[in-house]
Order: sequence, then C-alpha cells, then structure tokens
Amino acid sequence: MSELDKKIVEYLTDNARMSFRQIAQETDKSTDTIINHYTSLIETGDIRGSTVVLDTDKIGYEGIAAFEIDVTSSEETNSDNILETLIKMPNIIVATKTVGEHDLLALAVIHDLKHYQQISAEIAQIQGVKNLSSNIWSGNQKIMPKYFII
Amino acid sequence: MGKQKIDPTDITILRNLQQDARTKYSDIAKQCNVSVDTIIKRYRKLQQQGIIKNTTLLLDPRRFGDEIIANFSIDIEPQSTTEVLNYLQKQPGILFSTHSLGEYDIFTIAAAKNMNEMNNLKEKIQSHNMIREVKTSIWVDQFLLCPQNFELEPLLETQQ
Repeated sequence: MSELDKKIVEYLTDNARMSFRQIAQETDKSTDTIINHYTSLIETGDIRGSTVVLDTDKIGYEGIAAFEIDVTSSEETNSDNILETLIKMPNIIVATKTVGEHDLLALAVIHDLKHYQQISAEIAQIQGVKNLSSNIWSGNQKIMPKYFII
Repeated sequence: MGKQKIDPTDITILRNLQQDARTKYSDIAKQCNVSVDTIIKRYRKLQQQGIIKNTTLLLDPRRFGDEIIANFSIDIEPQSTTEVLNYLQKQPGILFSTHSLGEYDIFTIAAAKNMNEMNNLKEKIQSHNMIREVKTSIWVDQFLLCPQNFELEPLLETQQ
C-alpha cells in the first residue's frame, strides 16, 4: 500500500463522506488520482466497505452479547450454514468461524435482558448448534473502530 | 441518554448509509421523494441528536498487518476486575476488553501479526497472577459484518 493509499484510508476512516476533491486538495493530487486509488483499494479488498456508526444507546440498545457456539459433529451440519443463518438474524452484527475453544462467535446488540434471552433461545434452536456459551456487557464501548461497525 | 424518536425518512437515510456511507444525498432523496435539502437537514439533525456518531471505512485487518484476530474469554480471581482490565488495556494487540456477565469475567478481542505473536500474547496474559484461565478462539476466514441488522423500526414514533 502506497503512502497516498494510507492517507486516503486515514481521511475516509475519520469521515467516509469526505469528497474526493477535498482529499485531492489535502494531498496535492488530482481528483482523478484519488478516485483511481480509492477504486483499486476497493478492488483489492483492502477496503471492505463503508458505514455509518450509530450510537447504540440512542437507538435503544443497552448492551452487547457475545455468543460462543459449539457445533454438533455430523455430516448434515456444518458451521458455514450456521454462520449464514446467524448473520441474517436481526441484531447480530458480527459473526465468524473460530478454531480453538468454540466453533463460531456471534456478537449481538441487545435491548435488555429479556431480549438477550430471546436471542439466546433463537440461536440455540438453529439446527446443528450443540452448545451455547454467552457473555454480556452493558454500555456503548467501541469494539474495534477500524474493523467493526461499533 | 436514552432512545430517540425518528421517522421513516430518517430510517431510509440510516439504512442507505449503513450499506454505503458514501451514498449520495440525491439518491436518498429520490428514494424518499423529497428534496436533497431535506435529506441534508435530516442528516445534520441525526448528527445533532447523537444518533449518527460518524461515518467510517470497514477495513480488512489482514491488509493492515493484523493477520490473526482472536477472542479471549478470561476467568479471574475475585475482586481483581479493575486491575486486570487496566493490565489488559496496556498490552499491545488487545483491541477491546470488557468486564462481562456470564460464562467468564472478561471478554477480550486481540489482533496479532501472526500465530506466534498471538500465542505469546496469550501466554503473557496467562502468566498474570490474578488471571486464572484464558480460553482462546481464533477467528478464521473473513469475519462477517452486518450493520443493517440493527433494528431501527422500534424507534418510529407510534401513531395513535
């Protein structure tokens, strides 16, 4: 990644809506150069996308839950299918396959304890889910600002 | 503090920006059948209300030197939460740690250049005298992000 690429990423991480023209002015390059670099950063996958960061408290979420999931070992179930089901569920904002203690991890935003129990129950019902261990925490802490949506 | 009220136009703005923070105001205006000015005003209002914190890029950690991402579930000695959290926050590679309720006392996310480095980090944490147990899960493939899974509809002002 070139110095210019790094600069573009830096500016857009702070404000994803910053215009290419403005970035061009700041970096002393032409707008077309900036657009070309941005396009190639997307093509290479360095930039996965852009999003708006919302205040979870203000949209009615009291906390976050981490669900660590064990998958049954049988031919019919595989963690890819479960992962696909998870990421389509409302309130689950991050999901990944893992190796080590558990097979999958899902992070969900939760309104309150009752809501947490509901999501827990829904995940437990997914075919192939053998065991579920969860942790919850309250508040509005940023998780990984560079890579995550909160 | 607390829940804010929004309307369907606000939701359309937020949904568009969740998918692509660079969506043009004019595209959103077309979808809502209102003027571009209205959308800009609404966007500023959502910022003022504090609902929108900022807009940002989603980056691939592997392209930025964080090849391995893992979460640690940590069991600690009683009454050592603050001490352990302070300790964890100072460790390079720890991106996030929080006191949590449930199976473990602390939930942590960490990033490292390679497996070796991640293992060193784990062993270092494990050697802390207030830390009883560290369970590691290494994230494989690309983790999935779904900003549109936030539920916004409950914020709609109920029309009665």
